[in-house]
Amino acid sequence: MAKALQWIKMGRKLLLEKAHVEGIRYYDVYRREGGYRSVEKALKTMTQEEIVEEVKKSGLRGRGGAGFPAGMKWSFIAKPEGVPRHLVCNADESEPGTFKDRYLMEFIPHLLIEGLIVASYALGSNATYIYIRGEYAWIPDILEQTIAEAKANGFLGKNILGTGFDCEIYVQRGAGAYICGEETALIESLEGKRGNPRIKPPFPAIKGAWGRPTVVNNVETLAAVVPIINEGGEEYAKIGVGKSTGTKLISACGNINKPGVYEIDMTISVEEFIYSDEYCGGIPNGKRLKACIPGGSSVPILPANLLLKTAKGETRYMNYESLSDGGFATGSMMGSGGFIVLDEDQCVVRNTYSLARFYRHESCGQCSPCREGTGWMEKVLLRLEKGEGKLSDIDLLWDIQSKIEGNTICPLGDAASWPVAAAIRHFRDEFEWHVTHAAEAQTRNYGLAHYADPIHVPA
Amino acid sequence: MSDTPLFKVTIDNITIEVPAGTTILHAARKIGGDVAPPAMCYYSKLEGSGGKCRTCLVEVSKGSEKDPRPMPKLVASCRTTVMDGMEVKNITSPKVVDARASIVEFLLLNHPLDCPICDQAGECHLQDLSYEHGKDGTRYEFQRRTFKKHDIGKYIQLHMTRCILCYRCVYTADQISDKRSHGILDRGDHSEIATFIEKSLDNDFIGNVIDVCPVGALTDKTFRFKNRVWFLKPMDAHRDCPTCSGKVTLWNRGDEVYRVTARKDEWGEVEEWICNDCRFEKKKTSNWVIEGPRLIDRHSVIAQGHYAGKIGLTKPTETFSAVHHGRQPKLLMDIHSVSEVNQTNIDLSSINGPAHSNNFNVNKY
Amino acid sequence: MVQFSEEKLTKVKEIIARYPEGKQKSALLPLLHLAQDNFGGWLSAETMNYVASLLQIEPIEVYEVATFYSMYNTKPVGKYVFEVCQTGPCMLNGSDQIIDYISATLGIKPGETTADGLFTLKTAECLGACGYAPMMQLGKHYREHLTKDKVDTIIAECRAAAAANN
Repeated sequence: MAKALQWIKMGRKLLLEKAHVEGIRYYDVYRREGGYRSVEKALKTMTQEEIVEEVKKSGLRGRGGAGFPAGMKWSFIAKPEGVPRHLVCNADESEPGTFKDRYLMEFIPHLLIEGLIVASYALGSNATYIYIRGEYAWIPDILEQTIAEAKANGFLGKNILGTGFDCEIYVQRGAGAYICGEETALIESLEGKRGNPRIKPPFPAIKGAWGRPTVVNNVETLAAVVPIINEGGEEYAKIGVGKSTGTKLISACGNINKPGVYEIDMTISVEEFIYSDEYCGGIPNGKRLKACIPGGSSVPILPANLLLKTAKGETRYMNYESLSDGGFATGSMMGSGGFIVLDEDQCVVRNTYSLARFYRHESCGQCSPCREGTGWMEKVLLRLEKGEGKLSDIDLLWDIQSKIEGNTICPLGDAASWPVAAAIRHFRDEFEWHVTHAAEAQTRNYGLAHYADPIHVPA
Repeated sequence: MSDTPLFKVTIDNITIEVPAGTTILHAARKIGGDVAPPAMCYYSKLEGSGGKCRTCLVEVSKGSEKDPRPMPKLVASCRTTVMDGMEVKNITSPKVVDARASIVEFLLLNHPLDCPICDQAGECHLQDLSYEHGKDGTRYEFQRRTFKKHDIGKYIQLHMTRCILCYRCVYTADQISDKRSHGILDRGDHSEIATFIEKSLDNDFIGNVIDVCPVGALTDKTFRFKNRVWFLKPMDAHRDCPTCSGKVTLWNRGDEVYRVTARKDEWGEVEEWICNDCRFEKKKTSNWVIEGPRLIDRHSVIAQGHYAGKIGLTKPTETFSAVHHGRQPKLLMDIHSVSEVNQTNIDLSSINGPAHSNNFNVNKY
Repeated sequence: MVQFSEEKLTKVKEIIARYPEGKQKSALLPLLHLAQDNFGGWLSAETMNYVASLLQIEPIEVYEVATFYSMYNTKPVGKYVFEVCQTGPCMLNGSDQIIDYISATLGIKPGETTADGLFTLKTAECLGACGYAPMMQLGKHYREHLTKDKVDTIIAECRAAAAANN
C-alpha cells in the first residue's frame, strides 16, 4: 500500500501531464484542457510583486543548468524610470545530452507561451524574445503559430484581457553556437553580434539587451511558472525534496532502452530512473552500467558505483542535493538534466575526447585560457585515445584543466574542464591503460573493470 | 567630481584612497611598480577593452568593509571596480602568480618563436610578460596554429600567428578611425583578425592599431625589417599637423628618421593618437621640430642606446678617452671592409619596403 | 545581382521592427538566415554586403557574425548538406560509423562536396537530439535514429528530388 501511494506521488507531472493529449499543440485543445488559467489569474488578480513572491516561495531553481533560484533572479531586475525591460527566453538548448526544451516546444508550445506571458507581466516586459538555437529550424514555425493563436485569443498583443498590459513575443533563431546559451552571449547574439559573453558586472538584470534591464530564463523554468501560479508557490514547493522543489525534465540518452524526456519529481533514485520501465528501462543487450554523466556533458562523469550510491553508501537520488553529494570528489550535478548513460562497452577516454572536441569547437575564443586551453586538451586527449600518449599526459591534462577552471570570462571554461577532471579523477587507470597497453587499446575497450564494484564505506 | 566618495583599497598590503568607480588595475597603477598587474588587452583609452587576456587577474581577499567575504574566483582587475575597504592580493598571492604563469603559457602556446625576425622585439609586451611572469620552456608538443596570409595594404603588416586576440585594434578602428574594415573573423582558436575580402586598411588614424598592438601582429610596413628598435634613438618631436596633435616620437639613427610612433606613457599606452600622415609620410628630420630625447624606462632594452632615462641618468663623463688619458679608441676593423651589407652611403630609412641584401649589392647597380 | 524580392523585403522590414528603434543590427542573424536560404545556400561577400546595406552597418560587422556561427556557410555547399552530429551521446550510439558510411558511399570526406555538387558532408557538434542518436541535420529538419539503410534511403530520396527538379 505504501509502495503504491509512493508510486502515485512519483508519477506527479506538472509540465508534461497533458503533453500527449491529441491536438494539445493547438490553442483550442490546450485551452479546453485548462490552459491560460495562470494568465487570467496573474494578470487579473495579482500584482507583479505577488507573482515574483509566489515564484520565490515555490523554490523554483533555474532549469538551464546553474540552478539559480528563479524568483531571486526576477527580484534583481532594475526598474529605472522610463527604461523598457525585457524578458528573454533561453531556448538555445545546446548542452550535449539535453533535449528537453525542444520536447516542450514541439509538443506543448502553449505552455511555454503561457509561462512567458505571466513572467513578462511580472517583470514588466512588453517585448519578450525567445532565442532558440538555429538548428531547431522548424520550431520557430511552431512557436510563431502558437504566438499567433494566443494573440488571436487576446492573450498577447495590446491590452491583454483588458488589463492594460501590452506584450509581444518574438522568436529569434540563433545560428549554431553553444556559447549563446550563456546569458550574456545570448544577449549579444540577440543584438546581432558575435556570441562573445560579456564581462560581468554589470549583470543583465541591470544592463542587458540594448543596455536595458533584462532577465534571461530557460524554457523549462518559464513553463514551470504556469503550475506555480495555478497551484500557488507553496503547493509547488511541497513536491520534491529539500531545495529541489517541483518537477524536473530529464532528457535521458546514451546506452539505455528508452531514451527520451521524462518528468520526475526529484524523489526517485538514480537506480530506479535507469532501470525502471517507467523511465529509461535499463541498458540494452544485457550490458552492465559503467558510467553516467547525469546532468549534461559539462557535469562530472561518475562511475557506476558512485552514481548509484554516494561515497557514504547512501542511495543517490535524482535531485540537486543528492546528485551533488560528495562535491566534485565523489559527486556530480543536476545541471541541465541531460542524463547520459555509458555501458560497459564504452571507452571513457574516447568519450572525454569527444566532449573536449565539442568544447574546443564551441569556445568563442575571446579569453585566452579557454581559447588556447580547450584546443590543447583536445589534442592531448586525441593522442591518448590513439595510443600515442605518455603517462605524463594525464598529469598534464589535469594541470591544463585546473588552469582553465575559474580563470575564464564565462562558465564555458569550467564546463570544458570539469568533464576532463572527473574522467581522470575516477577513470585514471583507464587512461593509464591507454598508454601502457597502447596497441591493445586500439582493438578493444577497457571494459567495466572495477567501476561498478561496491565502494568501501568507512564505518 | 568633488562629491565622488573616496574608497580605501589595500593592494599587496599597500593602502591607497581612490575615487569610487576606479578599477583595481587603476588603483594598483597609482601605487605603481610591481603592484600594478600586467595588462595585455585592457587599454584605458579604448572603451570596452579589457577582461579578455586574463593576465591582470588578482585575488580579492576581502570584498569590502560592508561585505568582507572574499571573491570566490580571481577577478580581472581591469574590469572590477574597487569597494570601500577592499583588500586585493596581486604578487602577494601564490594563486595569482600561478594563474598568471599559466595565462602566459596559454598565450605563448601558439605564438611563434620568431622574436629574432619580429619588428616588435624589444618593445613587445608579450616578451616582457613572459620574462616577468612566465616559466621556462613550453609543454606544448603540437604544431602551432597558422593562418592564411592577408595583405592589408601598404601601411600595416599583419602577422596573424603572433596575434593574442586582445581586440584592441578592433576598438581602435571603431573609436579612433572613421570606419572599421577589419575585425575578428571565425571563432575559438581559429579566430583571426582579418578583413574577409582582401582590403587595405588605409583610412585615417588606422595606423594607431600598430601602437596599440601589444605584440608583433600589426607592425609598421614602412619600417619593416629596417632596424631593431633598440638601435634607434627615440626623440620627442612635433609638427604643425592639420589632422592630429602632431606630437610624436621619432625613432632615429643619426639624422635618419626610421619610424614615427605616437608617444607612449609608462604603461605603454598612447598619449595622443596620431594621423597616418604623421606616422607614415613624414620621414625626414626636416619635417619635425625635435624636442629632445624621449624618456624611456631604464629597464627597457630600448634604453641601452642612449642615456636619458626615466630616473634622469645623464650622459656619463667617464668616456674611453677620459679614463685613458686622452687616448682615442682604436678602430680594429671597419665592418664595411668585409661586408657589403649596411653601407654607410645607403640611406636605410629611404629604402622602399623592407631592406634586402639586394639593396646593398653595389656591384649589381 | 543580389536582391530580395518585394515579398522578402516586407519580411525584412517586419523582422527589423521586432527590435527597438535604432537597434536594427539585431536583425542580422535572422536576415543572414533569410539571405542564405534565398541566395544558394551560402553567403557570398556580395550577399553579406547586401545584408549590411539593408541594416546600414559596415560589411565587416556582417563578416564577423557570419564567420562566428557554424550554420552560416561562407563558401558554396552542395544542394544537400548532411550535418552529422558526432558529440558524446551520438558517438556512444555509433555516429562515427555513420559518418564513415556516408563518407564511403558518397566518396567524400567531411567538409567536402561531391563532384556533381549534390552533397556536402559535414560533421556537427551536438544538435540537441541526443535521445534520437545517431542523427543528422538535413536542411530544415533532423533525420534521427540513423542506420546504414536509412542513410541509403535518404541519399536516394535526395537524388530523386534533385532529378525531379531538373
